[in-house]
Amino acid sequence: MDVDRNVLLDLHRRMVRIRVFEEEAGKLMEAARVPGALHLYVGEEAVAAGVMANLTDDDQITSTHRGHGHLVAKGGDFKRMYAELFGRATGYNKGKGGSMHVCDMEIGMLGANGIVGAGPPIAIGAAFSDRYRGTSNVAVTFFGDGASNEGGVHEAANIAALWKLPGLFVCEYNGYGEFTPPARHQAIRDVADRAAGYGMPGVVVDGMDVIAVYEATREAVARARRGDGPTLLECKTYRFYDHVGIRGMGVSYRTDDEVLQWRKRDPVALLEAHLADAQILSSDDARAVHDEVRAEALAAVAFAESSPFPEPHELLEDVYDTSLPAPDEAPR
Amino acid sequence: MTGGPVGIVANPASGKDIRRLVARASVFDNQEKAAIVARAFVGAIAAGATSFRYLPDRYGIVAQAIPDAGVDADVAPVDSPDTDSALDTIRAAAQFRDLGCAVVLTLGGDGTNRAVARGWRDAPLVAISTGTNNVFPRMIEGTVAGAAAGLVASGAIALAEVARPAKLVTVTVDGERDDLALVDAVLVDERFLGARAIWDASRLRVAVLTRAEPASVGVSAIGGLLRPLGERDPGGLALDFGSGGVLVDAPIAPGLYQTVPVRRVRPLAEGEPVVVEGPGVLALDGERERVLKQGQRAILSVVPDGPRVVDVRQTLHVAACRGLFRAAPEGRDGD
Repeated sequence: MDVDRNVLLDLHRRMVRIRVFEEEAGKLMEAARVPGALHLYVGEEAVAAGVMANLTDDDQITSTHRGHGHLVAKGGDFKRMYAELFGRATGYNKGKGGSMHVCDMEIGMLGANGIVGAGPPIAIGAAFSDRYRGTSNVAVTFFGDGASNEGGVHEAANIAALWKLPGLFVCEYNGYGEFTPPARHQAIRDVADRAAGYGMPGVVVDGMDVIAVYEATREAVARARRGDGPTLLECKTYRFYDHVGIRGMGVSYRTDDEVLQWRKRDPVALLEAHLADAQILSSDDARAVHDEVRAEALAAVAFAESSPFPEPHELLEDVYDTSLPAPDEAPR
Repeated sequence: MTGGPVGIVANPASGKDIRRLVARASVFDNQEKAAIVARAFVGAIAAGATSFRYLPDRYGIVAQAIPDAGVDADVAPVDSPDTDSALDTIRAAAQFRDLGCAVVLTLGGDGTNRAVARGWRDAPLVAISTGTNNVFPRMIEGTVAGAAAGLVASGAIALAEVARPAKLVTVTVDGERDDLALVDAVLVDERFLGARAIWDASRLRVAVLTRAEPASVGVSAIGGLLRPLGERDPGGLALDFGSGGVLVDAPIAPGLYQTVPVRRVRPLAEGEPVVVEGPGVLALDGERERVLKQGQRAILSVVPDGPRVVDVRQTLHVAACRGLFRAAPEGRDGD
């Protein structure tokens, strides 16, 4: 059950990278330096970090509209991420995708996705591919409490359990589908309750405690790699900011007191307290990690903002994969 | 005959932890818990209960059960700090005591009942198991459990006739008694609470048990398979884990046997202190609860004055002997 010291430090760094990336991204959005709206992951860092610390670059994930944290935790490059937010040619999608399409196939990040609940069928396709090719890779899909009611999520869960595919369904239960609490859209309060109906194990963990998420994911991933099938892992977490942007308080659909209660369990601060108690990372050393990551983020923002925009004639490039023959050109 | 309201706690978090992954435990969904509460309402009212107080939870287990059961009685929630944690149960139990509840009906596992005992140490309990590897609450049909609670709440059967105090382990850290366990208090070789459950027997260091039941699952089973100790036997049992003693194959979680090295098994007299020292984590009734720092000590003792547990079978037996469920023959007013 114990978690290695190096893993703990790795978990901390992943969480800090997400927190800092998102805080800087939020400032850029509020200052209208980047176009469009950003769905920020602040408050939910323990989920992405705890899951991703159990994966290799060969393990693939699908993300959501709130996808920056997943890519950062998977090992995404700040420069290419910020450049994508700025719509620049040096971005992950050459500036043509934006926040909700960031992806990095080299490290197994199959993409953020603007369509709620669209990730699970893609990830389970990847899991099928992993099985078909005889690898020991796993595929992980992230989705929220709102997405848990989407048809594609149920279909993916059904087939993954039927074929015992090496998948992991991570429900990031942050209490709001955009602005709607689960009590208004589903008759259950734990999405994991549905696991038995799919025919897979379901587990609820404290999504603000990265060690809890890490421990549960470690077991679920090991199970998937063994060929024993998928797991539904529900992480109870909270979105510190609004659905988009950095405003977290003074909103109509939740109380400030609720936000403050959750902020007392800030996952980054919680881990830092544990690590200080265990004499693994002092508060000064933790601050140094924040400072180092912030410097990297600011340099990446400068790189992104000074990068060129894509050329107009590139607009229709990269829409289809042209490395394969088109159907009407394929040999018969 | 005196009675009082029935207090109800249904824990929405029980039956969902990591043991569904590391062992073969099942998900216990909240719809089923609501159905059990509905059946318990029906049983309790049939047995004469007229008043209920309950802990409101975010899932609304009890609130859903009220219309489902067609309850026409005095039913009201108690105030909850709404922390979605054991604190809600602790506070509710204290309110049940202050409101004069005659009995508390719990749905959950060892941890749920432990939380009730933290708020009301000798609470009169009808405990229905909806947790994982429970030793304290029993698997029993909600209708019948509700009926037993109703018989006590209506005053038809006196609590003293059908309930006995359970033992508990008092936990004293830094000189302050600040926690308890109903079944087992265990020092494990961990640094963090993490996913809370314990499923790796190689990390067990010392256990203090109120009961060692060979037909149970968990740390109690380890002791039970070596030296059984019943819930009504006096004193407790201490286990020191490690090499140099015996090996025992024990089910430490549902569907999960491990070979456990036990260096020493020793009976404990009532109140006899067992001192454990950090670093490590204290797991209480199967969940990692408290980090002990290097050199920090905890004193564990088994004492006999825990919750008063209602024997559901005995209660219904007494009710049958007294004809408490006999309906009046048709056309007569009763006798």
